[in-house]
Amino acid sequence: MNTSAASQNIHEQIVALLPRLRRFARNLTRDPSDADDMVQIALERALLRLEQWHRDARLDSWMFKIVRNAWIDEVRSRARRDKIFLAEEAGVDVGVDTTRKQQTLLSVQSALLRLPEDQRVAVSLVLIEGLPYKEAAEVLDVPIGTLTSRLARGREALQALLGPEDEHA
Amino acid sequence: MTISEETLMAFADGELDAAGRAAVEAAMREDPEVAKRVARHRALRNRLQVAFAEELAEPVPQRLLSAVRDSSAVKASNVVNLREARAASARAAKARVAGQRAGAQQTEDRTSWRQLGSIAAGVLLGLGIGYFSWRQGEAPIERGASGALVANGQLAAALSGQLAAEQAGGSAVHINVSYLAKSGEYCRSFTLARAGATSAATSGVACKDGQQWQIQALVQGTPVQAAPESGGDYRTAATAVPPVILKLIEGQIQGEPLDAAGESAVRRRGWQSPQ
Repeated sequence: MNTSAASQNIHEQIVALLPRLRRFARNLTRDPSDADDMVQIALERALLRLEQWHRDARLDSWMFKIVRNAWIDEVRSRARRDKIFLAEEAGVDVGVDTTRKQQTLLSVQSALLRLPEDQRVAVSLVLIEGLPYKEAAEVLDVPIGTLTSRLARGREALQALLGPEDEHA
Repeated sequence: MTISEETLMAFADGELDAAGRAAVEAAMREDPEVAKRVARHRALRNRLQVAFAEELAEPVPQRLLSAVRDSSAVKASNVVNLREARAASARAAKARVAGQRAGAQQTEDRTSWRQLGSIAAGVLLGLGIGYFSWRQGEAPIERGASGALVANGQLAAALSGQLAAEQAGGSAVHINVSYLAKSGEYCRSFTLARAGATSAATSGVACKDGQQWQIQALVQGTPVQAAPESGGDYRTAATAVPPVILKLIEGQIQGEPLDAAGESAVRRRGWQSPQ
């Protein structure tokens, strides 16, 4: 089989995706170390089933989906093991370290982390990671209408939290 | 004509077809308010892009790079589902008999069993090397009378006696999770600490079959993690269980994993099947 060059290539493509996978995972989990754990689990899962990835599908969408599923499994098993659900409100203000960055950037990030998970993930996939609606809907396993309404609500909430840009500049 | 906010959003995101785009563009020309709303959607998108661009420049941790680049070490080849290997072996034996009668050629089953057999041998060899420093004559896993792999020595003792909720950080065997499998057997997943504990450990699942703990699966190359400082930190323990083992458990489990009280009760009954 001459797939070894191709598979080498996929490995390098995945390496190139790592910064985006980490960023998406942080917005998903709201915790940088959870995020890296999820990325690692997703990498292991993805590499074990590379043959399930169709070449005409986008590698980034496929990987985002595996990261998200890893997080769903993790949240479930934490709930099962600990019998404690992570409180949505306990949203730790993370994703950025405590060193002072520009005020506006901090507020955009903390505003995003305040959104409910559905909206946060929709905004994250479409507006930050740049996926088309169709791809984002597939990552989340929801109809496109559900994706667009989550996205619209997320946007509205962000506008309300952030206000017009010029007031912050 | 009124245009919904979602349509304007889709326009700003480049999601509309030509007709949709033309309609929005016309509305924008007619009504400055529409143009303003579109501009607001675009500005928000921009703002998010800018705010989150910086993260992409952060260096990626080595462990993630290694997870991809050293994946030859974590490939499916060092995961053995022993139950499947046994089933394949039985099929192959049957096919062999049938083949002799019919004079047919060797079947694919036989080939795949041979491959699996050599993989299993490799894992066992790895175990032999890795656990050389275990008490002599007490390999953690050996071949039972039926040919199946069974737990032995300290591993067998830990599977029968050690509760996941109460175990010392330094013990040679770490029990991760105990559960009732759909087969009706009680099963437990474990990690064997390697002597020196700096490199890869071996994880697996064993199910109580009569008097013995039959090994269902073994995975080598589990990254060794610091033992949880307190008994309560399941998150550390959870990440130490290889995903393939978690997947196997997800497939086998009936209901929820046993909690501390459940484990203790089932231990009193010698981990015998409830049926």
